[in-house]
Amino acid sequence: MAHYAMLIDAARCTGCAACRVACQMQWQLPPEVFFNRLEFRESGKYPDVKQEIVPVQCMHCDNPPCATVCPTKATYKRADGLVLIDHDKCIGCKYCVVACPYDVRQMNDRGIPEKCRFCAGFIEKGEQPPCVSTCMNDVRVFGDLDDPNSEISKKMKEKPVYQLAAEKGTKPRVFYVKRGG
Amino acid sequence: MLTISRRTFLKAGALAGAACAVPAAFDFPSFVRGAAEQPVTKIPSTCNGCSTNCALWVYVKNGRLWKLEGDPKSMKNEGRLCARAYGVAADVYNPDRVTGPMKRTGEGQFSPISWEQAFTEIAGKLTKIIDKDTAGAVAWMAHGGKETYAQMLLDEIGAATYITHYSTCFTSKTNAWDKMVGNQLTSDINRARYMLFAGRNYAGGIMPGAMRKIMRAKDRGAKIVVVDPRLCELAKVADEWLPIRPGTDLAFFLGLAHTLISEKLYDEKFVKEYVFGFEEFWNANRYFTAEKAAEICDIPAAKIRAIARELAKNAPAAFLEPGYHGLHNHYAASTQIAQANVIVNALLGNFYKHGGLMPAAGPKFGKLTLPKRLQPEKGERADGAGVNNEYPTVETSRGIAQHMPDRIAAGKVKALFIYHFNPLRTAPDPEYQKKMVKADLVVSIPVDWNETSVHTAHYILPEHYYLERMDAPKSTGGNIAHDYPQAVMRFPALKPLHNTKHLLDILKGIAQAMKIDDLYPFTVEEEAAAMLKPLGATLDTMKDNGCLEVAEAVRPEFPVKDGKPALTTTTGKVEFSVGAFKLHGRMGVPVWTPPLVSPKAENEFRLIHGKQPWHSHSVTSNSPYLMAVSKSYNGSRMWMNRSRADKLGVRDGDTVTVEARIEHGGEARTVSKKVAVKVTEMLHPECVWVPSGYGNFSPRQKVGYQQGVNYNDFAPARVEPLSGGCMVQEVIVTVRKGG
Repeated sequence: MAHYAMLIDAARCTGCAACRVACQMQWQLPPEVFFNRLEFRESGKYPDVKQEIVPVQCMHCDNPPCATVCPTKATYKRADGLVLIDHDKCIGCKYCVVACPYDVRQMNDRGIPEKCRFCAGFIEKGEQPPCVSTCMNDVRVFGDLDDPNSEISKKMKEKPVYQLAAEKGTKPRVFYVKRGG
Repeated sequence: MLTISRRTFLKAGALAGAACAVPAAFDFPSFVRGAAEQPVTKIPSTCNGCSTNCALWVYVKNGRLWKLEGDPKSMKNEGRLCARAYGVAADVYNPDRVTGPMKRTGEGQFSPISWEQAFTEIAGKLTKIIDKDTAGAVAWMAHGGKETYAQMLLDEIGAATYITHYSTCFTSKTNAWDKMVGNQLTSDINRARYMLFAGRNYAGGIMPGAMRKIMRAKDRGAKIVVVDPRLCELAKVADEWLPIRPGTDLAFFLGLAHTLISEKLYDEKFVKEYVFGFEEFWNANRYFTAEKAAEICDIPAAKIRAIARELAKNAPAAFLEPGYHGLHNHYAASTQIAQANVIVNALLGNFYKHGGLMPAAGPKFGKLTLPKRLQPEKGERADGAGVNNEYPTVETSRGIAQHMPDRIAAGKVKALFIYHFNPLRTAPDPEYQKKMVKADLVVSIPVDWNETSVHTAHYILPEHYYLERMDAPKSTGGNIAHDYPQAVMRFPALKPLHNTKHLLDILKGIAQAMKIDDLYPFTVEEEAAAMLKPLGATLDTMKDNGCLEVAEAVRPEFPVKDGKPALTTTTGKVEFSVGAFKLHGRMGVPVWTPPLVSPKAENEFRLIHGKQPWHSHSVTSNSPYLMAVSKSYNGSRMWMNRSRADKLGVRDGDTVTVEARIEHGGEARTVSKKVAVKVTEMLHPECVWVPSGYGNFSPRQKVGYQQGVNYNDFAPARVEPLSGGCMVQEVIVTVRKGG
């Protein structure tokens, strides 16, 4: 059984937003609904100033608060690591929207929350999510952590990684390369 | 034609044939429901989001666009695409496209007419102009570099004036390289050890292939230094960012050259064998030391010397990027900046060297054999390019785009065609540019209701969208080096949505209505097939395989003939001193030339601009997907350094009033615009920076209308005399808090 994850090297990101629009096309989303965002931060004082750009999306947590708070079990965790939403069970209460520490859920035009789907249905056929395959700077690596020979497994061994807001105990499946890593 | 069958999870939403851009619902279940057993076809094309021409595959399902994927074979994008590619593709369904031929009926008012009526009326007016023996008064303006059909019509009637957008973009670069080297060399990022980028932001004015090569170079330990008044996107991933005082790149380059020469770090052998005019350059710049440069450009002398030494240490696998718009269209001294750029590189001896600068690889396309036609002799160009006593040293292959209203007023231009070009938004001073409407005939050939069409066109003849048409093959060569020539080609992926035509058919229609027989006795398919033949390719192989690479590598060899240097320059060498400039009373070598204007008061700034990664120009500012990105990140704000903002009491997000005085033709007026500010530490204190894609003022473009400001709003329409550039950063604005 595959166990999917993503590794993001934010130091490589130049903020072009191709990931966002490529994903919108893959899933046919309208312009204002998007599954990944960029966090821009500057630090220091001119001329000694640094810029950070951090791509953020659904982390497909192994301990997902969105699923924990869902009164109808509409949000569920698949065995391969994906966190998905069963629209037929969803009652639109928005508990999950509030519960998500990464603020990545957006309501769709039917009042049902939406977010990154880790390209469910595409990845099983060996395809890469377009946010990964369109990125000119190779910011993202996606793959199976159960396969020691996958690119992501090798990269995770090579580089020190961390998770966003790991102290919340969400156990995200999206990892980030540590700066200087 | 590849047909892929999918069982699950495919495109939902839009019903087959319905022309709405956004599906009615985008939730997961309807997506899955829409993923019934429908074949998906993949058609090769090239992106139209900027001029890079990235190769891509278009996925089509139910006759509608689904998604795109980069073609891994193209060196321009290596399988990757930026946001603009997707946004511009989705715009095939943009409701603001021109849906059929239009005729002007009043200010901003148009009525639909038939193609036949349009051709008949345009041909009638054109014939009348030509019959008065003023064929020279017919001008064609185009973005450039994408079609050859119009030239055939101009040749037929004896019109000399084909103008590109280049004078609003980068002509000082091509002019200097052409006159000094006779070739436009490209940076060999793949093998470079040290890369100096000045005014060149490959992560903002994106070329995905360039970024891939840069990131790979970084991974293998090459050094990247970015010189830019703004901490641009490329600077974010560079080893060093040097915030230069805007308008002083020339001082910086001359400081580098002085260090290379005075410390004997330059490639003496190369200079001796392959350079003409070295002494003349050195004599003129002997006292322009790194210290002098430092006073002017705000980069410490020690740093200038260190960079020169590092460049020399890594030469010839080191370069100063030749640059494009960001380095070459902004100042009175733009031509000298381009000259100094050539000189720094030549001193490194990196010409025709791996890791340095290499010639662009281009496939040897075939040609259609067409019957010879008798053509009238042509007079002088109507735009003054290459004309004695006007702009004699401006390249006639590029022309001058930004002073058309003056040429019309002077009676030099009577009929004007504007193809895939929007000078009202991309050239300085739109209020002045609007006067183009006064020509006897103005025909715009766009895809959308751009400003130029709305305000100046008498007729609008809409072209097929790029996804709806076949275009002749093109080379991927240029800007960045790649060893092997490549050809890419655009195939029609979608049926035309509207009553539009291919440019070739538009010109055929005009020529036939003018009773010119058989001017275009071919189809695009026939032309493409003839071009591909020597490459051993056919339309079918291109359609199946996408980008085609030819196995004939460009050699790293300086052109030599009979043992002598054989560039196409007069001496066959790299010429540090340009004879043509001297001939017309100018200096042949570059020397420090200050900007025309500089900010002085507390509320004065130099207005500079640049690309934002998700916009190209006015082309993308009406894209719902790309403007949504702008909205997410407050993209249309004007940047201002925090220390300056504090003095003006301006906080992040505040609205300010930006004003500039525009003088043109003896008249002066004040332009005043409001814009929200981004207060930042990532910008030189003496300037404000605006992204170049905003300030759309066509009311028929509902998405981009009046979002942000545009640098062209504040710049007078001027012509830099040597190369024809716009000098658009020779602009001082005053900024005050509030409206």
